[in-house]
Amino acid sequence: MSRLIEIEAMIARIALGDRVAFGALYDATSAKLFGICLRVLTNRAEAEDALQEIYVKVWHNAGRYQVNGLSPMTWLITIARNHAIDRLRMRRKAESRGGGDMEAVAAMADTSPGPEALAVAASDNAQIERCLTELEPERAGAVRGAYLSGDSYTELAARYDVPLNTMRTWLRRSLMRLKECLTR
Amino acid sequence: MTGAGEHHEDDTVLAAEHVLGLLEGDDLIRAEARLQSDAAYRALHALWAEDFASLTDEIAPVAPPSRVRSAIDKRLFGMRREGLLRRLGLWPALTAAALAAGTYLVVTNLDLLRPEPAGPSLRAEIAAEDGGLVVQVAYDPADPEALQVSRPSGAPASGRSLELWLIAGEAAPVSLGVLPDDREGRVTVPEALRPLLSQAVLAISDEPAGGSPTGAPTGAVLGAGPVTTL
Repeated sequence: MSRLIEIEAMIARIALGDRVAFGALYDATSAKLFGICLRVLTNRAEAEDALQEIYVKVWHNAGRYQVNGLSPMTWLITIARNHAIDRLRMRRKAESRGGGDMEAVAAMADTSPGPEALAVAASDNAQIERCLTELEPERAGAVRGAYLSGDSYTELAARYDVPLNTMRTWLRRSLMRLKECLTR
Repeated sequence: MTGAGEHHEDDTVLAAEHVLGLLEGDDLIRAEARLQSDAAYRALHALWAEDFASLTDEIAPVAPPSRVRSAIDKRLFGMRREGLLRRLGLWPALTAAALAAGTYLVVTNLDLLRPEPAGPSLRAEIAAEDGGLVVQVAYDPADPEALQVSRPSGAPASGRSLELWLIAGEAAPVSLGVLPDDREGRVTVPEALRPLLSQAVLAISDEPAGGSPTGAPTGAVLGAGPVTTL
């Protein structure tokens, strides 16, 4: 956990314009965020562009971190995930061709992340994973799809071949059950 | 089911849908507004964000290529840390020679850590990794004809000269002449090359006394560094 406190301190210093802290934060967290970009975007060049935008956002928004109530990794992961999802949705709009190149993703690793990055990546809170296993696999899959692929209700309804309203009801019930498990 | 309870449940699901990005149109606009104005809703939203973020635990970290960091630095701080090795790739024979000689190129740029770069002056630092050669170069637009060169460490080998090169973009290295024998001195910059300085990389090679006989570097590359704006 002290690693998280360090990251919190880095963000606080970045808010004051500290470039050294920015470099340290990048070293400690970029592999994690790049992994997320690759997973969401399944395209290396796009993931690199996304990572660039994400750290530019981090630099400009570090001052807002303290008031948002999130842990520092959650804050960074949320910025990364949301940006990657936004790009993915724009891409989906721009092209109607589907399916990323999963093999390309698998072959993407340039170098192994350092021990610091791995330490940050390892979370002590995989409670949501446990709670998702309490849902039917399809419903758990829909929640994951929404978070990690930015699927809309329309896309989810098409994927699971159910009417849109059924999909909404389904997912909302799943979210309630998830919450119940998470607060248990 | 009481109205309050129902409201609470609705908000719980609403906040989850919000975090997942499932809200659209008016629903999204209203939810965004509540995030600003409603602390209870903000707390629900934050909890979900935290829970969903741990869905990324199973995603393996992947070290990004260094060009991403360079691009970020360039965008945020207007500096270039990268491109150097690629530029030096224009000298394949020389680079190979440097590596064979056990000489590593290192870019040191003290200005990277400077909090507030301002003003039109330029500078570069060229250093060998072992510290055996350190050359600092400054360019003051008020004194446009020459670079101020200072060499706190290192000297040419006996009977040899250190030659300074300017590499602009994808062009071949252009000689700026040999470094002065004194540790502090000036190197004249031809007028045509001055506009290129701010986007250039400077490098130093080991050459026969008086400089390269060919107009292109012939000896080992001892070090290189990007020109940065102060």
